[in-house]
Amino acid sequence: MSSQGNTSLRRGVGSAAAETASKAAQIVAAVARETGGAWPGARGAAAQAIGLAERLATLSNVDAQVFTAALEALASGAPDLQERLEAAAEVPVEIAEKAADVAEAALHVAERCDGLLRADAAGAAALAAGAALASAQLVRANLALKPDDDRVRRAFRAADDARYCASQALDAGP
Amino acid sequence: MAGEADLVRRCLDDEPGAWDELVLLYSRYVYAIVSQAYRLSGPDAEDAFQDVFLRVYDRLDTLRDPAAIRPWIAQLTRRVCLDRVSRREEPVEPGAERVDATIEELDEAFAVREALGRLPEDCREVLDRFFCRDESYRTIGDALGIPSGTIASRISRCLVKLREEFEA
Repeated sequence: MSSQGNTSLRRGVGSAAAETASKAAQIVAAVARETGGAWPGARGAAAQAIGLAERLATLSNVDAQVFTAALEALASGAPDLQERLEAAAEVPVEIAEKAADVAEAALHVAERCDGLLRADAAGAAALAAGAALASAQLVRANLALKPDDDRVRRAFRAADDARYCASQALDAGP
Repeated sequence: MAGEADLVRRCLDDEPGAWDELVLLYSRYVYAIVSQAYRLSGPDAEDAFQDVFLRVYDRLDTLRDPAAIRPWIAQLTRRVCLDRVSRREEPVEPGAERVDATIEELDEAFAVREALGRLPEDCREVLDRFFCRDESYRTIGDALGIPSGTIASRISRCLVKLREEFEA
């Protein structure tokens, strides 16, 4: 979905959450790379984190598009308002799930990386957990969804997973 | 590669199914060069695709080294695409450097895909789901019946195996 006319894209919390989680994933990748030869799985962990960072960067732009379209529909009372709001809910669900994956990847790295870099990996997990929670809140706030909607449940499950990983990562190592 | 050389031999012997196998094996590669390196689309791309495989069929017996069939097909595809571009009213050839770089990327992508195909099923599945289908750790864990907390380490292990296959 793209914005109509000359309206510039509106970047809200969803877009910011995706960017935050993307940055966190980049930090995870850097920590894994710098740990290098001491851990045979380091390159694999870095590759996963890079994949997540790229996907989240894309989601940041997609979210800005669907959010702008939803705002326009709300302002104009467009006949496809329901569809646009639904579309605006789908993206934060994916952002929450991908952010949870970043937290998981960060925990994986925090448990294995060079001790000097552990705080960065743990901090990245915390950033990702915050991004997942922010996205889950957006899904719940969406006017088109009921509280028992499966997408709300999925988003908060992802936020819970991310929070658990972040707390584990913050406790990892000395 | 031995498998590709054997396929060439089977095509030249007119073994049943061999030509279909060859087209299946290289169709995505040829189409990727046509569409990504030369940016042909629609009927133009479809005609170029047909031309490439007609030339492969006509000239396969001139291929000196059967193991080098992939670069040979890439070269044929380049010629076909250049012919098509030069026949346009306003021919604008893409820069050779960009075409080379795109084909190099495609070669690497297809080599990775082939290495992926040689991995054990469990690794192939988990890598395909994460990198190609963009599935989350939890979705992968639920689908494969394994804890989502172990997916990241499994992917790392499988990537090590993939690298070994790729470099073999």
